[in-house]
Amino acid sequence: MFRKLQSVRLFLLIGLLLSIIYAGYGIYYKIRYWGFSFQPNQMTDVWTVEANISFEPTGDPIRVSISRPINTGSFKILDENIIAPRYQVQKDSKRIILSSSPRQKNQNIYYRVLLYDNVAEKKGIKDDKPHKVDIPLWDEQRKAVAYTILDRSKAQEGDRVQQIIRLLSQTPPDETVLAFMPERKSLKETADVICDLLAFERIPVHIVRGVRLEKDKKAFKSDVMIEAYLDSQWIIYNIETGEKGLPKDFIIFQRGGNSLVDVEGGENSLTRFSVMKSLTSSFNMAEHRAKTAHQEKLFAYSMYSLPLSEQNSLKWLMIFPLAILVVVVMRNMVGLKTMGTFTPMLIAMALVETGFVAGLVCFSIIVIIGLLIRAGLSRLNLLLVPRISAVVIFVILMIQIFTILGYHFHWDIASSALFFPIIIMAWIIERASIIWEEEGLKNAGKEVFFSVVVAVFTYFIIVNDYIRHIMFAFSELNLVLLFIVMLLGTYTGYRLTELIRFAPLSRSRKE
Amino acid sequence: MFEKWRFWATPSELKAAGVLGMNRRNFEIIAQHNKRRLYPLVDNKVLTKQLARQVGIQTPNLIGVIESQHQVRQFLSLVKGHKDFVIKPAQGSGGKGVLVIKSYTQNHFRTASQRVLRFSEVYQHISNILSGLYSLGGKYDVAVFEELVHFSTMFQDYSFQGIPDVRIIVYQGYPVLAMMRLATRESGGRANLHQGAVGVGIDIQTGKAIAAVQHNRPVRYHPDTGKDLFSLQVPFWREHLEIASKGYDMTHLGYLGADIVLDRELGPMMLELNARPGLAIQIANQSGLQNALRRIDSLPSKSANYIDRVNAVLDRATDKNSDAFILK
Repeated sequence: MFRKLQSVRLFLLIGLLLSIIYAGYGIYYKIRYWGFSFQPNQMTDVWTVEANISFEPTGDPIRVSISRPINTGSFKILDENIIAPRYQVQKDSKRIILSSSPRQKNQNIYYRVLLYDNVAEKKGIKDDKPHKVDIPLWDEQRKAVAYTILDRSKAQEGDRVQQIIRLLSQTPPDETVLAFMPERKSLKETADVICDLLAFERIPVHIVRGVRLEKDKKAFKSDVMIEAYLDSQWIIYNIETGEKGLPKDFIIFQRGGNSLVDVEGGENSLTRFSVMKSLTSSFNMAEHRAKTAHQEKLFAYSMYSLPLSEQNSLKWLMIFPLAILVVVVMRNMVGLKTMGTFTPMLIAMALVETGFVAGLVCFSIIVIIGLLIRAGLSRLNLLLVPRISAVVIFVILMIQIFTILGYHFHWDIASSALFFPIIIMAWIIERASIIWEEEGLKNAGKEVFFSVVVAVFTYFIIVNDYIRHIMFAFSELNLVLLFIVMLLGTYTGYRLTELIRFAPLSRSRKE
Repeated sequence: MFEKWRFWATPSELKAAGVLGMNRRNFEIIAQHNKRRLYPLVDNKVLTKQLARQVGIQTPNLIGVIESQHQVRQFLSLVKGHKDFVIKPAQGSGGKGVLVIKSYTQNHFRTASQRVLRFSEVYQHISNILSGLYSLGGKYDVAVFEELVHFSTMFQDYSFQGIPDVRIIVYQGYPVLAMMRLATRESGGRANLHQGAVGVGIDIQTGKAIAAVQHNRPVRYHPDTGKDLFSLQVPFWREHLEIASKGYDMTHLGYLGADIVLDRELGPMMLELNARPGLAIQIANQSGLQNALRRIDSLPSKSANYIDRVNAVLDRATDKNSDAFILK
């Protein structure tokens, strides 16, 4: 007998363990690849970055090569499209190449990328080994100035790269620096100078171009930063402040060698960017995320790819196992006697629809009036089935009257009557009145009360947004609940109420 | 000081007291020892009566059975020649739906609690039984008419109205714990502890009262009659135990409760058997069931003969160290 119990428990424990592992993996998987989160109603930022490339055709065949954003880990491409009528489009992992026969008019090409913040991976940029650095071939005089600047920069703070950046951007400008480069210069020019200077130090360095994601920016040029290879890793620097590291909201389009946009067969090319921010719910994003993570097959067979109405019904269902667990705990561990096993759960579900206070008040009124009617019916000595049917009809009529009154007088409490399950209400009334007759009002009241207590408990669990969201988003947890419920089925310890019920036994022992 | 006001016990205290909890009863005792298919033997009183006769257990004599609605009107012809009778649902439990008629005329029926019912009311009651009002799960039922037990006057002052009965828990054929249930005014003449009846723990070896409780609290005197409950001694105790033990032979339920009443002429009679006897008997005895059950489990061999089993219970020298048989 004892051994059998042990083996059943062991079996269930193994099941519980496996289900926890499975659920754990499921949660990890959904967070990583589908971007699910534990927060309900979470919104994800989606950025639209639009590059507008304009140029004047020269009459030669046109070939435009646009650099695609580089995956730095903090953002992922959700979608991209190109508006370039009658161009042939070729894509590779790094660039998009548009080609066309010669044209006449000014050309405007739009390249639009939808990006979202990537929760899945925060990996660094892939390290490619730098090439050997050659000292620029300059005349001796310019070289001498360069060395002076490099010398003077050693007085600045930070690492070598930062020292040079800071010296160059000093205000008022350093005299030697002024001799070396014009005061007013573009970011690109500054970056070029820094790269040259660093070459004398034989520090591998290249330009990085990209876009800073800020809300609703229009028609701006790409940002320039530099990336230097120090202490055997690539580090990005802001060329104005010398600040290290990739800003969180920075999208890199071009890194090193290749240019951002190459236009062949055109001149006066200009690239302008616009940024737009929009919000979308995490669930809407899930499909896109699944696609980008190449996990779309699994997603297609999950409940999140169903139509919304089905999803909503399932969302409602997914909370039930937890409610059932509450009932099991309340009955088998706490030892509360309730009317019917799952009646409290059904009351709780009705409360979700009606609202808490309104529902409870309405429930009480229906039960009390129902009991009075039932007391009247019992005098008529009707047979069981017709009698309970009569109670059902009475409950229906009551609900009808309540709903009409509630509508006309704007009593929310009364109109909530509609949501209570009719048959359940009738059975509660029937059972309560039988207990009343056989075991007295006190016991009947007790049982109704405990049923409501359990219902209220259940209500607060299933009405919680977090719990609802988690049980739906991570429905694997229901498998864990299944094993917990089964394990509770082997619980042979005392119920909480028994500790009180049998208390006299332990005391008499002590005496 | 705090201890004095404490109204609960810790699980370890209950364990030490050998208290059997509901979960353990269901999981380890009932599920292991009571096969589901045997339940109908005790859930149907007509069947129980037939089986009881086969193993030689006395039960109140069956007058007749009403099975369908159209027979109800003729119930008076059924009880012809009996000056009193009892109507009960065949599949009822816990005394629900039992109507005791002490005397009657064509249209007036006097019940045990001196209430007078008209013919239509009794008719209605029988109808209710047939429609399953009192049966487990509301199944259609039949109404059983049986002879009234003329309960022994020696219990008169121990009970306020109602028939006092003895409940004996039988484990694998061995009687292990017993109590007597006495109706009170509060319980409305019913022997239902839940409603305020007094439960008197009966020593399994002697048939003497060892403890008494009402509403879970120890009492000494009957709240209505004032009778000293500790002076209670059940006569024909051995016969009581034999009936209970034979209940096992007839049903093979490893854990059952036998309800026995004492008829002043016919002696102890079995009223019904219960496949899921409650745990309140532990409170009435101020003693846990667990140790008693373990003692039976540890018996080297179990006898197939009820006489041997009863002897085993009666002959065992009172073991002062054991928990279950400790005297107050």
